[in-house]
Amino acid sequence: MIDISKFDKILKKVEKPARYIGMEKNSVKKNLEQVKVKFAFAFPDVYDVGMSHLGLHILYNLLNNEEDIACERVFAPWIDMEEQMIKENIPLFTLENKEPISNFDFIGFTLQYEMSYTNIINMLHLGGIPILSKDRKDTDPLVIAGGPCAYNPEPIADIFDFFVLGEGEEIILEILNLYKEHKERGFSKCEFLKEVSQIEGVYVPQFYEVYYKEDNTIDRMIPIVEGVPEKINKRIIKNLNNSYYPQKLIIPFIEIVHDRISLEIFRGCTRGCRFCQAGMLYRPVREKDVDTLLNLAEKLVESTGYEDISLTSLSSCDYSQLQLLVAELMKRYEEKHISISLPSLRLDSFSLGILRDIEKVRKTGLTFAPEAGSQRLRDVINKGVTEEDLERAVTFAFSEGWSTIKLYFMIGLPTETQEDLLGIKKLGYKVKDMFFKMPKEERKGNLKITLSASCFVPKPFTPFQWVGQNSVEEFNEKVKLLKNEIRDNKITFNYHDPKLSYLEAVLARGDRRLCKAIIRAWEKGCKFDGWSDIFDFSKWMEAFEETGIDGDFYALRERSFEEVLPWDFIDIGITKEYLIKEYKKATNGQLTRDCRLGCNNCGINRSFLGGVC
Amino acid sequence: MLMNLWIKFTKENYLKYISHLDLMRMFQRTFRRCNVPIKYSQGFNPQPRMTIGNPLALGIESSEEFMEIELYKKMPVDEFINTVNKELPQGIKILDAKYVDSKSSISSFIDWSYYEMQFVVNNIIDLTSLKISFQKLLEKDKLTIEKEKRKGNKITIQEKDVRPFIGNLTISEEKSEKISGNKYLITINCLLKSGDKGNLKPTDLLKVIEKYADLDIDSDTVEIKRLRIYSEIENRIEPLM
Repeated sequence: MIDISKFDKILKKVEKPARYIGMEKNSVKKNLEQVKVKFAFAFPDVYDVGMSHLGLHILYNLLNNEEDIACERVFAPWIDMEEQMIKENIPLFTLENKEPISNFDFIGFTLQYEMSYTNIINMLHLGGIPILSKDRKDTDPLVIAGGPCAYNPEPIADIFDFFVLGEGEEIILEILNLYKEHKERGFSKCEFLKEVSQIEGVYVPQFYEVYYKEDNTIDRMIPIVEGVPEKINKRIIKNLNNSYYPQKLIIPFIEIVHDRISLEIFRGCTRGCRFCQAGMLYRPVREKDVDTLLNLAEKLVESTGYEDISLTSLSSCDYSQLQLLVAELMKRYEEKHISISLPSLRLDSFSLGILRDIEKVRKTGLTFAPEAGSQRLRDVINKGVTEEDLERAVTFAFSEGWSTIKLYFMIGLPTETQEDLLGIKKLGYKVKDMFFKMPKEERKGNLKITLSASCFVPKPFTPFQWVGQNSVEEFNEKVKLLKNEIRDNKITFNYHDPKLSYLEAVLARGDRRLCKAIIRAWEKGCKFDGWSDIFDFSKWMEAFEETGIDGDFYALRERSFEEVLPWDFIDIGITKEYLIKEYKKATNGQLTRDCRLGCNNCGINRSFLGGVC
Repeated sequence: MLMNLWIKFTKENYLKYISHLDLMRMFQRTFRRCNVPIKYSQGFNPQPRMTIGNPLALGIESSEEFMEIELYKKMPVDEFINTVNKELPQGIKILDAKYVDSKSSISSFIDWSYYEMQFVVNNIIDLTSLKISFQKLLEKDKLTIEKEKRKGNKITIQEKDVRPFIGNLTISEEKSEKISGNKYLITINCLLKSGDKGNLKPTDLLKVIEKYADLDIDSDTVEIKRLRIYSEIENRIEPLM
């Protein structure tokens, strides 16, 4: 345990000290002397963000259900806390037992976004743990990672001992049980890594060597240790009804980003939007049935006392029994003043009808994501939404009393023209006109339209994985154009920082050579890069320069289909041929139907059993 | 029908670091887990009817806080205390509860708070001289501190006389001791006006004694705990329950 008197002293000097105290309802504090495996679940961002992540709650409870395993949480301390910890010489610790993370067997990071990479390094450093895998001894913790960014683990391959690809519930206990065996007979990191690499879904980067061509693209990546797999398959759960789901969630004292019951209704998505990485990674669609969900909801309400149940998934309105589920939940919980919410909405009348039911009185703002300003470009990205859909939705929303509308777009999508760009403005103005065309007495509230543009970042395992991103200058031009065009006191235009998106693109599609640049950026003081007020682009550019990295090579370059991509050794179940076909269709503006309407042969139903295809 | 429940509870140890709103949310969720038949407000955004009388500032402990909740169905007091205590986090505990028949809110009954404060002072000759300077301080008609006033973006500083808000100030000798030289650990007790009819924050009292007793207090060491809350009835102070 860390020095508690020092801990007490520094808590007085930091903002939101409750981030560091633990003790929340449903948290689990075991005697660490009495367990066989100590696992620190590490989220490389601040408590308020990390605690909103459903995966944390699932794995935390799954592991703590095992008698001889203790899972404790560790988050990135906010800058003020870090300063105090360094001053008082307090190593990074877990919230439950206030135990230094260096005393754990495993430190398991979840990789939710690329911009958290410097925080990972920072956390290891604060924990007094060597940053690179090769520098850690048998007595150091094993540092592992999973989550969406693990699907291109290469830029941080030197840091981690191994990565876990796919859904963690399946695989984590297999890994920890193997570890237990090794520990009992005398642990050797090298031996353990060799054996763990045999578990499907585990990738041990140090067992592979990458060779490059003269033009800096990858020539080949080959195993250098006998018996390790050439391809790493992702792990999935075949039947979500029987899979582990926690019956309780830790209830934070302080307000966090998503402070409610997350009821996961299905995994995967059948829509096939071409920019969307999650839509490809998490295939196939697997639904939980209504009875399972009602059961879970009851247990979660009992154990948490939360006032809101959020029906989460990638596209909740696509749940086949949504109407029934919502009706049943409302029947059970309306009297208890527990509300139901849907995190993502589609622009169809069915979704809006349900929304009307669940938001009977409170009309918070409505958010839609047309993603692109013109029909042509929406077809390119396979966002199956038409202008009529939007019109219908907005008309309905206004007539039901909503007056705050938010529309999300991306700029810099492949094939985008000035006309597509101006389509964003057009849509905004159209929504405004629709409001004022209503008779005055029917207008409710004060109209407020927000048009929000993010800069497109091409991601691995999407049909756009070969695409060159717009340069920062191009993005700035586009933003300037829209800023000049959109001048209306009812319409607000805001946009994401192109520099941040550029860096995200570099890290998302980078290879192993990037690792030294990431470490250098951290040495220069970069952390919390996803926080726009802390993000320091110039330090990153210096780090690239000093380590001989050309960011444009990773972000802006259009790849050929023949090029070996850094993540090609991972098999997510979708064939490369399918992604190529989709990319070609995109450039021709051809749509691909929703998988629920017929199989599009992406390959997932040949790779895995079960699921809707 | 007596459906208003007054609740006496503690807020101790690390739970001093959760804010008033955090505490409200925590109780709301605890009550739901315990099926406490709490009444909700009418209107667009129904909220549970609960009030915490005189909320504490972040970082201050308390061995006696008060809350009032309104129920739609009576729940026996013992049952209420037992069920809810099982669900509360370490550091928060219900000590007592009673149904009251009163139209005015619990806040209007709160007039005084009794605190214990502990801190390190760097410039004390001995405890006796400190005692004397406290006596002199209390003999003054006026004790002013500077208070920031915000009006929009403007911040103005005003002098405020807080003497009427100080009921009592004593040194707890058994909990005070010399550390080294002129450095002492000091524990004081004070009775300060609390609530809608006048309020003095304990940290403001520290400003007063720093100024008038000329003390150099090490602000990193300050620990504050509220011990009791009182009502003032006809010039007498009485516990709320």
